[in-house]
Formats: sequence, structure tokens, C-alpha cells
Amino acid sequence: MNSNIAIKVGGVGKLYYRGRARHDSLRDKIEDAITGLFGRKAGNDKETGSFWALKNANFEIARGENVGIIGLNGAGKSTLLKVLSRIVTPTEGRAYVRGRLGALLEVGTGFHHELTGRENVYLYGSVLGMSRREIASKFNAIVEFSEIADFIDTPVKRYSSGMYVRLAFAVAAHLDPEVLLLDEVLAVGDFTFQRKCIEFSRQLQQRGVTILFVSHNMFSIKAMCRRVIYLKRGQIVFDGPTEEGLTLFEGDSRLSTAPWFHAEEKVPPIEFDYISLCAGSGEEKTIFAHGESMVVRLRYRASRPIRLPDFRVGFDRIDGMHCCTYSSASDGIGLGEISGQGEIELRTPPLKLVADQYTATICVCEGIDGRLICGLHGETFHVGHDKFNKDGFGVFNERGEWSFTPRSP
Amino acid sequence: MAQPDAEKAQGGGASHSKACSRVTEIRPSAGLFDLDLAEFWRFRELLVTLTVRDIQILYKQAALGAAWAVIQPIFAVAILSVVFGRVVKLSSGTTPYPLFAFAAMLLWTYFAEALRRSATMMVNDAELIRKVYFPRLVMPIAGVIAPLLDFVLGLVVLIILMAWYSIAPGWRIILAPAFVLMAGLLALSVGLWLGPINVRFRDIKHTLPFLIQVWMFASPVIYPLSLVPDNLKWIYSLNPMVGAIEGFRWAVLGFEGVSFLAILIGAALTAALLCGGLVFFRRMERTFADTI
Repeated sequence: MNSNIAIKVGGVGKLYYRGRARHDSLRDKIEDAITGLFGRKAGNDKETGSFWALKNANFEIARGENVGIIGLNGAGKSTLLKVLSRIVTPTEGRAYVRGRLGALLEVGTGFHHELTGRENVYLYGSVLGMSRREIASKFNAIVEFSEIADFIDTPVKRYSSGMYVRLAFAVAAHLDPEVLLLDEVLAVGDFTFQRKCIEFSRQLQQRGVTILFVSHNMFSIKAMCRRVIYLKRGQIVFDGPTEEGLTLFEGDSRLSTAPWFHAEEKVPPIEFDYISLCAGSGEEKTIFAHGESMVVRLRYRASRPIRLPDFRVGFDRIDGMHCCTYSSASDGIGLGEISGQGEIELRTPPLKLVADQYTATICVCEGIDGRLICGLHGETFHVGHDKFNKDGFGVFNERGEWSFTPRSP
Repeated sequence: MAQPDAEKAQGGGASHSKACSRVTEIRPSAGLFDLDLAEFWRFRELLVTLTVRDIQILYKQAALGAAWAVIQPIFAVAILSVVFGRVVKLSSGTTPYPLFAFAAMLLWTYFAEALRRSATMMVNDAELIRKVYFPRLVMPIAGVIAPLLDFVLGLVVLIILMAWYSIAPGWRIILAPAFVLMAGLLALSVGLWLGPINVRFRDIKHTLPFLIQVWMFASPVIYPLSLVPDNLKWIYSLNPMVGAIEGFRWAVLGFEGVSFLAILIGAALTAALLCGGLVFFRRMERTFADTI
């Protein structure tokens, strides 16, 4: 392998058996055997069959290169990182990693809540592959980075979740790897800490660390990587410049199932095949001014009658902040039952969101209990304003009424 | 913001000088006997850390702390001494019954705890297996080492008891660690077999306490080996703990009537179980993250 190559992946694939996914005990096995005896196959094919979580992956990553991995849920992003970090064994193919590998698939794996912060720094450090001497020499820097020096001898079960993440990330940040695999770990902590983490990743970049980075957060991908690998159902469908890859991905993820939605029914009860965002006057657009109204047009197709549907359109900011949701039921639109096809139009009041990039998401809830039956990524749009940004103004800005009464001493 | 590792911050130049750094190959499956002990050795510090962790958390937030390591066996032996020493009047030769039972109970408690830990640690720390790479062998081995602390604390009590009964250990005491090692290795080898099965079938977790209890009654913990009928002795000695316990009692207390044949059989069986367990464990660990 050429010494300028940090990661080389050749024909790597990983086959999973769905049957293994459930926690099986002997009882399940016996149950399966008995149901099998009577001719009824336990579960359907989908449950017992196998599938390639990753198939025929081929790529090389040069030393010091930063590559983002994008794709919808279940596209094989995490499987790829797990194969490269040797947590799972590939079914076929070969991969090579040059140099000390650091893998952060989760922040704080192995933290023990009964132990103090100090004890956990050593524990987590070793879990990540540092030697005890190395941890001891970096201990002060780790504590300083975490900003929780006062609590270092307190058991972590008394920590707030923010403190916990800070300490864990501070340890991980001092790992000093030559190749780093990151899975969504920057999407934790409060905003200032997140910024600190991105800044930190930049430093790693400057030091020449090779970073392979999985994220749903297009903002951090754009900030960190010039190249992206786009995975779709286990296959690499794009490998090249970030802008091009993200455009392709955004096009594909238009009206795709949202990462947080888990379908309960085999056939989706309702689907959408059209979304458009328009100005109040009606023309389609993707850049809106602060204070402008938006018209969202949707077209649905229901595969079965849906009782008491509640259509919802939400706006998520690019950094993952869920900003607001419009709900047909809350707005007093009582729909008894719908079936077949139809169109929906939502006209928002003037949008007072701060300037940033957003994604419109679509949800449908059913019945009195509001069971979620559909969750989609809709369309991306921008809001422009030269002063109202998220750093200074939070989520939205509304004009307030002030009165000011100076009193002389 | 803090700048970790300032000496490494010179940028690309530094990393290019590492041009000959180690290349890790990732491939589908290795041979049957590929134990890769070198890889295990690279992770020895993690073994230390996990062992230290297990010891640290054992008596956290317990007011009596490590005293529990001593209180439990003392109570067990007090009860046994009343029931079997006074009521049933088991013969323990020239050795006072409380000493006879305590020495064996000490080793047995260590064995049972080591077995329980090494067989269940993978499942109890499933998060580690799912999210971090390390040779999984670290876990059952850490499980066998951690309970040694309790054992050593119990040993102090044993010495005090011996002084109370004015029994001085002979030269054979130097052989005692060998029998502790034998119990530890046996616990490890059974753990190496049961651990991977537990990853796949959680039934092991529920079977284990039962197995350990039956095993104790099949070992000369509360009664001497001489009580076992002669025609059953050969099958009885197939339990490697017979050799370990008998040997330990012989080395520490100078207890007579020990069967050296039982010790030999036990050692040989332990060695065989251990080798098979290592191969089995290495074979199964590749799928731990997929099935756990």
C-alpha cells in the first residue's frame, strides 16, 4: 500500500441476518422450531432473510484527507465505520488502515456512573486505546478542556448530561490518532461546546489527521470535508466533491423517510409524491426573506382510509434545532377520514425565523391518540437577514414593544 | 480554547515522518488457531483498567466497604460450623471444622465469583462491545482477576483463624498459590465456553447460579473427600475443583488424606478446557458485535 494512503477499502461487504437482530434465547429457537413443524414459518421473509448492510465498497483516502460519509438511515454508514474500526468483521473484501486509529462511534462509551470524573478519564482513555501513562501526562489538559475542574472528584452519576458529554469529549479529543473515525459525535452538547468541537476538529485537520466523518448534519460536513462518500442501501453511489454530493443527496432525500421515523406498518399508510415551497404570491422559491409568508403545497396518496388525520409541517434548522411545527388539527381543521389522493396547502404567517438554512419536514398523525404514521424530510430552504442570526437572536425574532423611562439619580 | 498536545501541532510535516507506521489489515475471517496473542498483549493496559474499575465499583456507596468481603464468608462458615460441625458432626480429621470449611469456602467463593464474572461480563458491558474495538479476551480475564482482592482479604481472616486454633502452616504453604491459580484458570476456561454462548443465548445467565450451586455440592467444600464412597471417587475426581480445593486445604492447613491423583486429573482437565475455550472464544468473538 502506497505510504500516502491512510485508508484503503477493497470490495468490502457486510452481510447481516435479520433473524439475529432480535435478542434470541433458546426459547425463541424452540418456538421457531415448533411453529416450523406445523408448516407456518415463524415471521416473514423480511425477518429471517439476510441483507447486505454494505456491499462492494471501494475507495482510498489519502493521508490528511477529511471525508464525510452521507446517506439516509440504514444506508450502511455506521456499518462502514464499524468495519474500519474492527468492531465487526466484514463478510468479504479487505481493508487497510495505516497508523494509530481512533474511533468515536459514541461519546462516553464505557463511562461508569458510580466512578468519579477522574476515574472515568482513565477508564475511558484506556477504552479508546490510550496508555495510562499517556492519560496521566494529558490529564490536566483534559480537565481544562472539559471546563468541569470543580467536579472532577464527583461521581459522574451526579453530573448533568452536558457535563458528562464535555468530560467524555475532552478525553476523546486528546486521543491524538493518525486516523480518526467520527460518528455523529459532534452533534452533542450545547452550542458553544459544539463550536469548540468543530474548532478542535479543524486543529486535527491542520495537524494532518485523516478524518472519516459520518453525520446527518450537512452544516458540519460542509465545514469539515471537501470530499463526501454517499451511501445508498449499502452501495457507494457518489464519491467526490462535497457540494456536488450534497446536492445529489438533498435531491434524493427530498420526501424520503426522516431518520427519526420508524415505520410500524409494512405498507406505508400514506405517502407524499410532491412538495413545493412558494412565496405568498405563488411562485416556487428556496430563499425567503425574514418576515415573509410561505406557502407549502403537498400531494398525498393514502393506501388505506385514515381516521382523524393531523397533517404537520415542521421546520428544522440545519444544525438540528427543531424550530416550529404547524399542525392542521391544532389549527382547527377537523378532517374525519381521508382516503385516496389529495392536495394540501399550508399558508404560514410571516416567518420570523433567524437567517439560516432549514428543512421542512412532514408528519402525519392518526386517530385521537395521534399515532405517528408518516415522517418525511421535505425540502430545504434558506431564510435571509443581515442581522438576525442564531448566535445573537436564537430561534426567531419578533418585534417587541418597549418603553424606556430614564430616572436621574 | 485549550490546545491539547502542543508538541504534535506542527502540522503535516510531523505526520509524514511517520510514513512507516503500522498498517492494520481488516479481513473477513482468520484461521481456527489464530489466537493473535500479540494483539492481546498490546491491550494489556485495558485489562488493568477494567480490573481496577471492577474493584473500584464493587464497594462504592457501601458504608462497610470492603469489610463485606470478609463478613460474607465468616457468616457462611459460622452457619456451616453449627450445622455440620455441631449438629451433623461431620468428621474433618484433626483439623477443626470451622478452619476446614473456611479454607475451602474461601477458594470456592473466589472460583464462583470469577466464573460468574467471566461468563457474563460481555453481556453486562455490551455497550463496550458494540462501540469499541479491543480483543474481547480482555473481558473474561479481567473477570477472573478482579475477585482476587476479596480472596486476599479473606485470606487475612483465615490466617487469624489459624492463629486462634494455633495451627501453623508448614512448608507446603508455598504451593498454595498454585491451587488458587488452578481455580482461577478453571473459572476462566469455563467462562470462555459459557461467555460466547451467553452472548447468543441469555439463558446462560439464568442457568449459572444453579450450575454454581450444584457444582459446590459436587465439590468437597463442606465435607471431606473421604466421605465420598470409593466406587464413586473416580467419577467424582473428574470435577477439577476437587483437586484444587483438596490441594489448597493440604497446602494451607496441612490437611491429610489428600488425593494427588485428583489434583493431577483436575490440572489436566483444566488445561484441556482452557485450550479449547481459547480457540472457541476467539472463533466466536468475531460475531459478538453482531449478535449481542
